[in-house]
Amino acid sequence: MSVQVPERLTETADPAGPVAAVASGNWRMTWRRLRRNRAALVAGAVFLFVVLACYPGAPLWAHLVAHRGPNVQNIQGTVSSGGHRLPVVRADGTPIGPGWRGQYLLGADANGRDLFVRVLYGGRTSLTVGLVSALVCTALALLLALPAGYFGGYVDRAVSRLLDLIWSFPVYLLAVALSASLVVGGLNVGPIHVGSSSLAIPIVVIAVVFVPYIARPVRGEVLALRNQEFVEAAIAHGAGPLRVMRQEILPNVFATTLVLFTLIVANNILVEAALSFLGVGVSVLTPSWGNIIEQGYSTIVTAPWQTIAPGIAIMITAVSLNVLGDGLRDALDPHGRLRGVIT
Amino acid sequence: MRRRLALLTALITPALAGCGGGSSTPSTGGGGSGGGGAAVNGGTLRAAIPDDPDHLDTGLSYATEGWEILESTGDGLLGFKKTSGAAGADIVPDLATAMPAVTDGGKTYTFQMRAGVRFSPPVNREVVPSDIKFAIERLFRVDSGGVGFYSGIVGADSYAKTRKGGISGIVADDKTRTITFHLTQPDGTFLDYIAIPFAFAVPKGTPDKDISTVSKWRIATGPYMISAYVPKDHITLVRNPNFHSWSTSVPAGHLDRVDIKIGTDPEAAVNEVANGTLDWYFEAVAPDRLTALKAQFPNQVHVYARNNITYFEMNVRKPPFDKLAVRQAVNYATDRGALVKIFGGQGTPTQNVVPPTLGAAYAKQDPYPYDLAKAKGMVAASGTKGMAVQVWSHATDPVPKAAQYMASVLDALGYKASVKTLDEGVYFDTISTQKGDPQIAFVQFDQDYPEAQDFVDVQLNGERIVNVGNQVTSNIDVPSLNRRIDATRRMPLGAARDAQWAALDKSFMQQAPWVPFLNRTLPKYVSPKLHGLVFNGTYYEMFPAMWLSR
Repeated sequence: MSVQVPERLTETADPAGPVAAVASGNWRMTWRRLRRNRAALVAGAVFLFVVLACYPGAPLWAHLVAHRGPNVQNIQGTVSSGGHRLPVVRADGTPIGPGWRGQYLLGADANGRDLFVRVLYGGRTSLTVGLVSALVCTALALLLALPAGYFGGYVDRAVSRLLDLIWSFPVYLLAVALSASLVVGGLNVGPIHVGSSSLAIPIVVIAVVFVPYIARPVRGEVLALRNQEFVEAAIAHGAGPLRVMRQEILPNVFATTLVLFTLIVANNILVEAALSFLGVGVSVLTPSWGNIIEQGYSTIVTAPWQTIAPGIAIMITAVSLNVLGDGLRDALDPHGRLRGVIT
Repeated sequence: MRRRLALLTALITPALAGCGGGSSTPSTGGGGSGGGGAAVNGGTLRAAIPDDPDHLDTGLSYATEGWEILESTGDGLLGFKKTSGAAGADIVPDLATAMPAVTDGGKTYTFQMRAGVRFSPPVNREVVPSDIKFAIERLFRVDSGGVGFYSGIVGADSYAKTRKGGISGIVADDKTRTITFHLTQPDGTFLDYIAIPFAFAVPKGTPDKDISTVSKWRIATGPYMISAYVPKDHITLVRNPNFHSWSTSVPAGHLDRVDIKIGTDPEAAVNEVANGTLDWYFEAVAPDRLTALKAQFPNQVHVYARNNITYFEMNVRKPPFDKLAVRQAVNYATDRGALVKIFGGQGTPTQNVVPPTLGAAYAKQDPYPYDLAKAKGMVAASGTKGMAVQVWSHATDPVPKAAQYMASVLDALGYKASVKTLDEGVYFDTISTQKGDPQIAFVQFDQDYPEAQDFVDVQLNGERIVNVGNQVTSNIDVPSLNRRIDATRRMPLGAARDAQWAALDKSFMQQAPWVPFLNRTLPKYVSPKLHGLVFNGTYYEMFPAMWLSR
């Protein structure tokens, strides 16, 4: 039996209460507010462009223009540039730099690979890791925060201490430690076997270390919602805990979760880049923005384009996601209750 | 990102000396000397190294940084000629008055020690033969990585177990100033073992522990002594007041002092030398800076040849490399020129085991000219196509790039290649255990002493395969070749012995346990004021030869 409860949270009805509920009317209101935020719209368009460039754009460019994939090495080859044939990699190991040509538009790396193609494919990896790890992180956070806030007492204390434990480690140190241990031998727990070069490893590591960043604010909201009348009413009508959490509380923490999700995506892309730069993220054979920077770092003086190109890609993506996330937060949360929750 | 030229610890099967490495020690080198007119005495050398030396104890140091410093403070009965180029492999008397008398079919070596050489303060007394015996026995008591060099001495094995009563095969007589070594079997390389820092004189009474930071036991016989060592900060060398030069092969040194700053990375070192705040840096020039520096400061860049071999080993115990055709196919499919470019052009391509700097022991061969089509055919015929192969490398640039190149070669041959990267600090220890046991792995080996035995015997003799500290990382074990190695090792140093090593080099490359691809060089960038640069393959650059123009 479905429990009918009045829609009770609007931005005007309960300004001191939890974030506005996102009923269909509120979605329209949110969209209206978002449309008024031009910076957020531009940021959204930029992010969409990055996504399109990396997902459908990467193979199209590789096949139609560059004529080589991201891992094709061409150390001994030559390329036509300005009417001359130039070595892709010179005898002293210096790769060709950027130029107006289809092949090697941004130059090559030390292994003679097309840097522009690698940046596009690297974007796929970085975006995938950022998005999927944010999804996993959000799911884990909800799994912990909902029962903690709903049941309170022992369950809340146990979950809170777990979150405290994770948060007590410097986040990068924890991520590096977890990654370093997993990239050597992979993950082998019972029937679960994940290879050391699998993308699942950085995804899980990043997701786990950032769980408290979402779980804590969501738990706080659930604690507040738990004592609301509509929740009491649902319980009085015989709804069990799972049903109340799923049908009554979850929709009401959705807005908060959505805002946190957009912000954590940008954060996770940066963390992936950092871990890959440190050699404990994505496998070296899979291009990602982080490991492209790492592989170009040793030639930063003589071939700076190898680090600048993926660095700019990371910057554009992170800024666009952060501006978009801020706009979304402003639209969903006009009273600014989420400001400062995550930075 | 690491890039030390650390000697590999350990090795050695009982009774056979030798030493090995994955990363390593010095090599013989040509290379420049600073020139600059007549040498000037005095001044302080402003030097830097990237990290602490492994030890400043001759009993324990087994890395280039340590040997480079300890060469200027210590002496053994013999030494390598302190000069650049091939002559640096020549063994000459040092604390001994002459080369030893070799008797008993090459199993007994008798040295006469010179008088008048004194230890530095606070010991101050004369060096006597029993100090050499003490130094070698101490290696066993401090669990030195160098014990394998001396395990062929009669009684060494039992002393290694009991650590009591001394090594019976070393007889030192301080009255007659003689010391005699009795070996269990002839070993032409024994003179090399006596010339390396493990056999430098140490005053009796030195504690059986690492004395790197214990100033009162860092006793010198050479022109300099270590007056200060603060880990992670600095090392200071000053003149040894008790030193006097006793032969032309033991120079007195020109500098008054060497200040070594610890913790400078290669990029910063280039900038500091260019700014005039640094005279000399331990490591090679960062590869990406070399071309520009050569063009801009040709007189300040010096490129030394090293006794080095850089290769991928293929584990013959693991598929698909248990098949000879596959190993040969990988050799055919590897473009050595491409790999040399990945290493910044710092070296020469090779298909030999023995480096070209080892004279007659090197006979250039090219058994696997680049032929991808032929290689693909061999792999297809082997029935191993489609197998998963993991290429191991350490994380220090540009090695991961070389591993990625090798992965692309294996992909082109039809395998599913991946790359596994470990920190350099644990890499060589890991691949030298049977438990780690990669299918194919990057290896770099620099000599411990300038003899082809160090390359062929130590890395390819199947009798040396052990579970831990295994230098025969390919696990190649061909009994007929092992027997030829054993016979060659017993031969005296010389042309006949070198010819045997060259023949063995050819035989092993037919078995293709490796993909050798590079003999690396060591490019250095120094201050315009620094002259007298001498690069010895074993001791590396020599502080006593350096001088600063005013």
